[in-house]
Amino acid sequence: MRGCSISKEESSLVEGKSDTILEGKGICKGFPGVWEHLILDHIDIDVRAGEIHTLLGENGAGKTVIANCLSGFYMLSEGQIYVKGKPVTLKSPRDGIRHGIGMVHQELALVKPFTVAENIALGLPTSDLTFPLPEVEDRVRELSEKYKLYIDPLARVEDLSAGEQQRAEIIKVLYHDPEILILDEPTSLISADAEHLFEALNSMAEMGYGILFITHKIKEALEIGNRVTVLRLGKSMGTRETAKTDKTELVKLMFGEHTPAHLERKPVGSKRVVLEVRNLEALAADEEPALQGVSFSIREGEILGFAGVSGNGQSELAEVITGLRRATKGEVIIHGKDYTNHNPRDIIRAGVSHVPEKRREVGVIEPMTVAENVVLKDIRVSPFSKGSFVNISRVTAHAKEIVSRFGALVSDLWKSQTRILSGGNIQRLILGRETWRMPKCIVAVYPTQGLDAKAIDHTWELFMRLREAGSSILIVSEDLDEIMALSDRIAVMSNGRIVGMFEGSKANREEIGLMIATGASGSEHSQ
Amino acid sequence: MGFSGNLDELKKTIIAGVIGFAVGALIMMVYGYDPISAYRALFNGAFGDLYGFSESLANATPLILTALTFAIGFRGGMFNIGAEGQLYLGACAGVTVSLFHLPFATGFALGLILAALAGAIWSLPVAILKATRGVHEVISTIMLNWISLFLAFYLVAEILVDPLRAEKTISIAEGARFPVMVPGTSLSYAIFISLGAAIIVYILLWRTVIGFDIRAMGYNPLATTYAGIERWKVILFVFITGGLTAGLAGAVHVMGRPPTYAIYSGMPSIRGLGFEGLAVAMIGRNHPIGIIISAIFFGGLMAGGRMMQLFAQVPLEMVRVVEGAVVLFLAIPELIRLFSFLRTMGTLHIFRSKRS
Repeated sequence: MRGCSISKEESSLVEGKSDTILEGKGICKGFPGVWEHLILDHIDIDVRAGEIHTLLGENGAGKTVIANCLSGFYMLSEGQIYVKGKPVTLKSPRDGIRHGIGMVHQELALVKPFTVAENIALGLPTSDLTFPLPEVEDRVRELSEKYKLYIDPLARVEDLSAGEQQRAEIIKVLYHDPEILILDEPTSLISADAEHLFEALNSMAEMGYGILFITHKIKEALEIGNRVTVLRLGKSMGTRETAKTDKTELVKLMFGEHTPAHLERKPVGSKRVVLEVRNLEALAADEEPALQGVSFSIREGEILGFAGVSGNGQSELAEVITGLRRATKGEVIIHGKDYTNHNPRDIIRAGVSHVPEKRREVGVIEPMTVAENVVLKDIRVSPFSKGSFVNISRVTAHAKEIVSRFGALVSDLWKSQTRILSGGNIQRLILGRETWRMPKCIVAVYPTQGLDAKAIDHTWELFMRLREAGSSILIVSEDLDEIMALSDRIAVMSNGRIVGMFEGSKANREEIGLMIATGASGSEHSQ
Repeated sequence: MGFSGNLDELKKTIIAGVIGFAVGALIMMVYGYDPISAYRALFNGAFGDLYGFSESLANATPLILTALTFAIGFRGGMFNIGAEGQLYLGACAGVTVSLFHLPFATGFALGLILAALAGAIWSLPVAILKATRGVHEVISTIMLNWISLFLAFYLVAEILVDPLRAEKTISIAEGARFPVMVPGTSLSYAIFISLGAAIIVYILLWRTVIGFDIRAMGYNPLATTYAGIERWKVILFVFITGGLTAGLAGAVHVMGRPPTYAIYSGMPSIRGLGFEGLAVAMIGRNHPIGIIISAIFFGGLMAGGRMMQLFAQVPLEMVRVVEGAVVLFLAIPELIRLFSFLRTMGTLHIFRSKRS
């Protein structure tokens, strides 16, 4: 029966291709406690049948809130939603589904030990003791084929890749015969698999669905979709035809005059190598090889990003460079001088800063005060100490400056323990301490992990400023977006080896994602 | 610089002390002694009059110094129980000077310096073994304490022995003694050496770079290495400084302890001062100022304990039991910290041996 109904609607949708099927007018949304500014401020948005409408905006711009309003998860504070020209009030997601609006959330909501079909059957209103499993399986197979989603209904969710799970989630929504599909940041979980998703979405649009595709990536907004609406801090910055806009315009709409530094980088000017690592080998804590034949170099003013799943030798690499772990083979060369297996003090003196992975265990001494932690490395030098005595007033002034410049929220400098600070504030303190001297070389491991969107922005800006000033920066991150945004070159690590090295400008997200996932590459043979 | 919550510590200590005394009273009651008259005798003996207070301070004099030895180590994450052995040699060094007939000031200064040096030298093997070979200081200090004990026995019996009275060493030359502060008591001006040392250690820990390094290493050795602080330097400094104060403790106990100014064979008045310093340090929360207070309290217990025996007819053994109860309760807050400290030290040790 369902199969019949969809094909009927489909035909009607295909005919009126530019019909607006979902429209929001003057949508406002505020939350108690944050009323001083609206999360959504009079947004107009419409989705037509047969198109992919991209909603582009930074983290915190309000994209997810719009999606939740349009699909019935949130009630509107003001404004009106129209479905096919008729005003509707959506009081719950069920209302949304009844009006043909389906939403795929950013976080997947699948029960892992269950099959795809079982997961879908779970959400059906008809599910009772007589589970309609065979029917569901047939429908899933049908939908999967029709929209090129390639999902086996009998596959268990935990056996599926992230991309497949994402598509299973889409099928779950499609099962309710929506006319409009809202996808909230569907590519945030899948990197290598995005192609499949785009293909499926395009084929769905061709069949007459209206799709609202939410992303914070400009590249994707240009790649997929017919129209793009840009959101900035809860306000709509306008809608453009995708074919008639370009990166520059979108960047301006997204960020205003304040363009993020990483989007307008100059090429690396200098050829001087600051940090060089040759054929490095080291053991992990369990005596297993952690690094095998790792070689690379970083020039002045260059950022080398290390991508890869954590635990593939990145931490050990950072520790060996900074003198915290012994190299069993190979060399670490800083400014042309051999610093292999030197103690951390020598390496600090050579101008290498280190933003460590374990910020609470290694980056600070928790029972000591904020002021003491700010000068943890600098207390030995003038003007923070004279002779062997600590110059408390200079330390205080310096700590005050670092704390305010890097926006760390601390209650006081000399009284309470650093332990009471939040992880984000501890990281700000560490970043401040490690970068205020504009060091020649920085090794930063997971520098933005656990920070909020604004703090991440500031950190990225900080790294770009340091780059401009000529620092050589090694960044280890699991966040491929971060690596792609900051790096001049990208190294992929797997099982203690560098399995791929890419120029940042030419790097292909999918290729890197695949390499991270499989750990395989062509360059392995050449080593 | 970074010593908040001291008031809080004081409150905790006072509460612990009250509980300790209450438990002590309970024990005395169980065995049929009158705790009120016993405690009155204890207090009067310790702080009731000038004589008692002077005796308490005199008892505190070496304890402050041996407690500092332990406290510096503890602040740096090390369990230095070497004060005992270093103290014996400090005392012997102080007496040795009097073998020679030196002019007044020279003998006095040389006595102190030699004693401090003797303590420091005795701590060197501990530091070197720990820094280079990772030998745990508890093991090496215990071994060195025994060696020192028999070495001191030998020195006392054979080298420094008083030719006229074989049960003791020669007395410190008149000119090299600390003058008595309150006539008729054991209190000499040596107390100022102890108080001065406490203030110096305080400044050292909270106003100097090496003090910063010591405290940093005590809290988090890993982060200390990360910050470029060299472990071996901190280790060397901690043990040498500890050795100096322990050596001085020996010196002040012979040069500043009337009436004999000598060591008796078997060293009855000296033995134990090092380990008691550990307890003093724990109750003083390993803080120099806390140590001064706690050492005077300890000195008071020693002085007052005698009076308890004398005036409240509480047998010496019971006095010790009550003292033990009080000390145990006072030390509880710091003991808790000590256990967690030993635990982290254990894990670090495993970490280290795996790497090397």
